[in-house]
Amino acid sequence: MDVSYEAVNGSDGGDGGVPHGALLARIAEAMWEGDATEMAAARAALTDAAGADVMVDAVAVSANFHMMTRVADGTGTPLDPGTYDMSAPVREACDLNGFVSRRDPQGERQTAQGASN
Amino acid sequence: MSIAAPQRTYDTGLPIRDDLGAAHGEIAARWSRPGTWWTGEQRAEIVRQVRAARDHRTDDGGALPPWVQPSGIEGLVDADGPLPAAAADAVWRITNHPGTLTEDWYQSIIDRGVDPLAYVELVGLVAQSNCVDRFADALELPRIELDEPADGPPGREGAPAAVKYHWVPTADIKMPNVIKALSAVPAENEALFILSDAQYVPMERVRGDVVSDRNSLTRPQIEVLAARTSKLNECFY
Repeated sequence: MDVSYEAVNGSDGGDGGVPHGALLARIAEAMWEGDATEMAAARAALTDAAGADVMVDAVAVSANFHMMTRVADGTGTPLDPGTYDMSAPVREACDLNGFVSRRDPQGERQTAQGASN
Repeated sequence: MSIAAPQRTYDTGLPIRDDLGAAHGEIAARWSRPGTWWTGEQRAEIVRQVRAARDHRTDDGGALPPWVQPSGIEGLVDADGPLPAAAADAVWRITNHPGTLTEDWYQSIIDRGVDPLAYVELVGLVAQSNCVDRFADALELPRIELDEPADGPPGREGAPAAVKYHWVPTADIKMPNVIKALSAVPAENEALFILSDAQYVPMERVRGDVVSDRNSLTRPQIEVLAARTSKLNECFY
C-alpha cells in the first residue's frame, strides 16, 4: 500500500492512500473544532461510507490522542532518540518542525528536582 | 492492570464495544477516589475544571486565551475550592492550549507551589478526562457523571523518580518517552494504558507491531486519526 500524508494535513487533501482517509481526518477535525453541526455531518458521512463500527472506533482513536498529546506536552516529553532521524521526512511533509512543542532528543538533565514528596 | 467485568457505561444504540465502555467506566470511577497526591475531592475538581475549561466561551466565542489565568477572572475558579489556584490554571491551559506549553510555563506552576509529582498526577487526570469526555461529546452522549468523592488521604506511594529527559520527574524505566512521562505516578500510567488499550493499540504493541488491524480499523486508518489529531493539537511528539 502506498501511503502519503495528505490526510494528516487535512481532510481536503484526499485519502493519502488510506481507505476513507479524508473522512477519518474530517472526524478528527470536527472533534477538534467542537461544532455540533459539523460533527453530526462528519459522523454521518463516515457511517454511510464505512459503517457505524468504524465511526465509533474512529472517534475513540481521536479521543485517545487528545489524551496522549496532553501527556506529552504537559510533561515536556522529548522525541525519542531512536525515532528522530526516522521521522524527519514526516516532520517535513507535515510541517511540524516549527511547533512550540518541538523538543528534540537531549542528554540527561541535571537532577534539579527529585521526588520531593 | 485489571478492569472489572464489562459494564454499561453508555446508554446508546451506537455500537460501542463493551471493553471500551468498561474502560471509561473504570477510569471515571477513579476520578473521585483518593489518588497518589490529590484527595478524591481534589481529583473530582480537576475533572470539573477540565469540563469548565472546555465549555467556557469568551465574548468572541473562543476558548480562554493561553495567556489568561482563569483564577484571575471572577466566577471561573472558586477561590475557596479544593484546588490551589495554580493547579486550576494548569488544568485550563493543558486542556485548551497543550501545544503552547513551555518549560518556563511548567516551572511557573511549580514555583506557585504545586509539587512536581502532584503535577504529574494532574496531567494524567486532565488527559484522561479530555479523552473520555471528548469521546462522549463527539457522539452526543452525556458525559459520565462524577461519583461523590471518596474520603481518605492520598496514597503518596509514587515510584522513585528524578528529572532526566522530561520537565517532570520520571521513573527509571526503559520505555518510549511518552510512556515514561507519567511513570512517577504509576496509577496514572496504568490509567493511560487502560484507555489506550481500549481506544488505540495496546502500549506494548505500539512500536513492536505496526501492521495489525484493531477492532474495525486498519492500522493505517488508526495512524491517520492519531496523526491528524496530534497535528491539530500542535503536538510535535
